[in-house]
Amino acid sequence: MTELQRDKTFGPSGVSGTLKVVLHDVSGTLIRALGTIERRGYDYRDVHCTQRVDGDFDLLVRIEDIGGPRNLDILCRQLERLYNVVSAEKVGRRKRAERAG
Amino acid sequence: MTTATKFEKQATEVYSDRDPKSGAQLLLEAIEREGVDIIFGYPGGAIMPVYDVLPKTSLTHILCRHEQGCGMAAIGYARATGKTGTALATSGPGATNLVTAIADAYLDSVPVVFITGQVPSDLMGTDAFQEVDIVGITMPIVKHSYIVRDPADIPGMVREAYFIAAEGRPGPVLIDLPKDVANAVTTERHRWRPYPKQKPEMGTSDNIAKAEALIRQADKPLFYIGGGIAQGDGVAELRELVERTEIPVVSTLKGLGSLPSDHPHYLGMLGMHGLKAANYAVQECDLLIVAGARFDDRATGKLDTFAPHAKVIHMDIDVAENSKLRATDVFLDGSLKKNLAALDPFRNEPYEKAQVQPWRDLCFSRRTQHEWDYDGAQENAAPGVYAPKLLHDLSRRAPESAIITCDVGQHQMWVAQHCYFDDPKDHITSGGLGTMGFGLPAGLGAKLGAPDRTVITVSGDGSIMMNIQELQTLHRYGIPLKIVLLDNSALGMVRQWQEVFFDRNFSEVNLDDNPEFTKVGEAFRIESFLVRTADEVDAGIDRLLATKGPVLMHVKIDPNENVWPLVPPGRSNADMMER
Repeated sequence: MTELQRDKTFGPSGVSGTLKVVLHDVSGTLIRALGTIERRGYDYRDVHCTQRVDGDFDLLVRIEDIGGPRNLDILCRQLERLYNVVSAEKVGRRKRAERAG
Repeated sequence: MTTATKFEKQATEVYSDRDPKSGAQLLLEAIEREGVDIIFGYPGGAIMPVYDVLPKTSLTHILCRHEQGCGMAAIGYARATGKTGTALATSGPGATNLVTAIADAYLDSVPVVFITGQVPSDLMGTDAFQEVDIVGITMPIVKHSYIVRDPADIPGMVREAYFIAAEGRPGPVLIDLPKDVANAVTTERHRWRPYPKQKPEMGTSDNIAKAEALIRQADKPLFYIGGGIAQGDGVAELRELVERTEIPVVSTLKGLGSLPSDHPHYLGMLGMHGLKAANYAVQECDLLIVAGARFDDRATGKLDTFAPHAKVIHMDIDVAENSKLRATDVFLDGSLKKNLAALDPFRNEPYEKAQVQPWRDLCFSRRTQHEWDYDGAQENAAPGVYAPKLLHDLSRRAPESAIITCDVGQHQMWVAQHCYFDDPKDHITSGGLGTMGFGLPAGLGAKLGAPDRTVITVSGDGSIMMNIQELQTLHRYGIPLKIVLLDNSALGMVRQWQEVFFDRNFSEVNLDDNPEFTKVGEAFRIESFLVRTADEVDAGIDRLLATKGPVLMHVKIDPNENVWPLVPPGRSNADMMER
C-alpha cells in the first residue's frame, strides 16, 4: 500500500450508542433518517420504532461506528437537519467513550 | 410506520370548492407564484401533462439538449441571480440524467427545485417503462424530496419546496410527480401547516463576546472564508469587519470574490492549489476565524496538520458543521450576515494594531515575495500560450461585472489563481462535486439570469466534450456566452497527477485525437476561432469580448504545463510542491 493510500484509510473510532429520534409521520422520513445514520458511518445493531399518541414516531436505534472520525453529537445535528425529523439525541450509556473531536 | 396515504400529513385543512384544475396546472401556477421566470427542461413521456399546460403560463422554458445540461443551467442561473433555479425532466433516464446536477447543487449548497415526471401511481414499484425510484436514488443528495400523491397537495408542497431550497443552508429539493397525479383534476386544495422548525437568528450574545475576546487576545489572527459569505449575503459585513480589524484573509475556491482579489488584506486562495502566502498563514496563525466555510479536504490538506496552533471561531448557518471536522472554540450559528455585523472586538477597547502588525507584515511580505511573474512565464512558454497569463489578462480586460464560469481540471485552478474577482457571484464553479461538463450549461444559465452582464465560460478540452450539446442551446436562443476553450490535448489534471504521483505512468489521458473544435463550434452555428500562439492572444481576447453573439475561442496550450503550487493529497498544506 502506498503512503497516499494509507493516509486515506482509517479504522473504526469505537463510538457506539443509542439515539432517540422523533419523526413526523410523513412518507420517507424513516428511511431518510436511517439512511443518514448509515451514510455517516454507522451500522445498526437494533432498530425500534413506535407511534406516539400525538402521531409522531419515536425511533430508537442502537448504532456502532464502522470507520471514520465521528461523534454522536454531530450525527444528531445531521439528523435534526432533515425535514420532518423533530429531534435527535443520545440516550442511555454508551459502551465506550467517544473520541474527542 | 404508516405512509401518508390520501395526502401528506403536512396538510391541516381541506378546501373542496375551488376551480377544477389538473395537477399539472396546479404545479405550474404554484411555480409562477414563487416568482420563477425561467425553467430549464427537457420533455418526455411521464412529464407530458406538464408540457401540455406549459405554453399557457408566463414561464419561459429553455430547452437544453440533455437533462444534465438543464440541471446545471438551473444551478448557473441560481448562482448568478441569488434566486432559486428550476429544472424539469421526465421519469427514468430523464430523472437519472439530473442526478449529477442534483449532487452538484447539494455539495455547493445551491437552491434549485428539480421536478421529475414519474410513471402513473398504479405502476410505481412494478419496474414499468421509464420507471426509476428517483426519490430513493437521490435521497443522500437532496435537502428534501417529495412524491406527489394527490394534486390537492401541490400548491402547499411547491411553496414548501421553494422555501426549503432557499432557507438556511440552501440546497436542492426534488418533486417527483406521477403522471396520473399530473392529469388528475381536482376542486380540492390542501392547506399545509407552516414549516415548523425555528432556527436561531444569530449566535448568542455570550458567544459573540467570547469570539470578540479571542480576537482581542490573538497575535496572529486570520479569516478563512468560504461560499457561505455570498450565500448568506454577508459580503458587505465581511468587508467592513476586515477593514475595521485589518486581519488578513484567506479564501476557499467558493469564497473567491468575497474580498476583491487585490484587496490589501487579502492573501489568496488556500488549499491544494492555494497560494503560498495563504497556506503559510494558515499554518502559522493562532486564531482562525472561519466564516461560511466547512474545512473541506481540498482546503485543509491533512486535517490534523491544518492550522495546528490555532483556536477556532466558526460561523456557519448549518449547525451540523460545528466541530464536524475540526473542534471549534466558539461556534456562531444563524445568519452569517448578522454575526459578521455583530462582531466588534474593539468596541470598548482601543485597537492595538501593534499587537498584530508583525503578523500582518509577515503575511503580506510573503504575498509580495510569491507574486506571479506572468511575463517571465510567458517568455519561457513562447511561442506557445501561457494559460495563466491569458486568464489574468482576460479577466482584467473584461467588464468589471463579468461572470466567469468554469469546468473542472487545470483550467479551473488557473481561473481561481489568476482571474480577478470582486464579487463572489462573479465566479461560478463546481467546487464540491468537481463536475466536468459544468461550465457550459452553467454559463448559459448565468447569462439568462444576468443578461446585462458579460458571461465567460472557461473550459478544457476534456470538460467541454461532456456537455458540448449545449452549444445548440446557445444557438437556439441566441445566448451570447463567451467560451474560452483551453486545449492541452489531454486530461490535464489527471495527467499532472500521473506525472507527479504515479511515476509518469500516463494512462488514458491523451486526447490528441480531439475534434477540430472550431469546426464543431461552426457546426452548431457558433462563431469560432483558433488561437495558437502567444502573439495571437491579445487579438483573440479583443475578438472574444467584442463579439455580440455566442462565441468560442479555441486556445491551444502546452500539454505539459502544470498547476502550481500543489499540496500532495493527504499531506499538510505546508508541504507545497512547486515547478
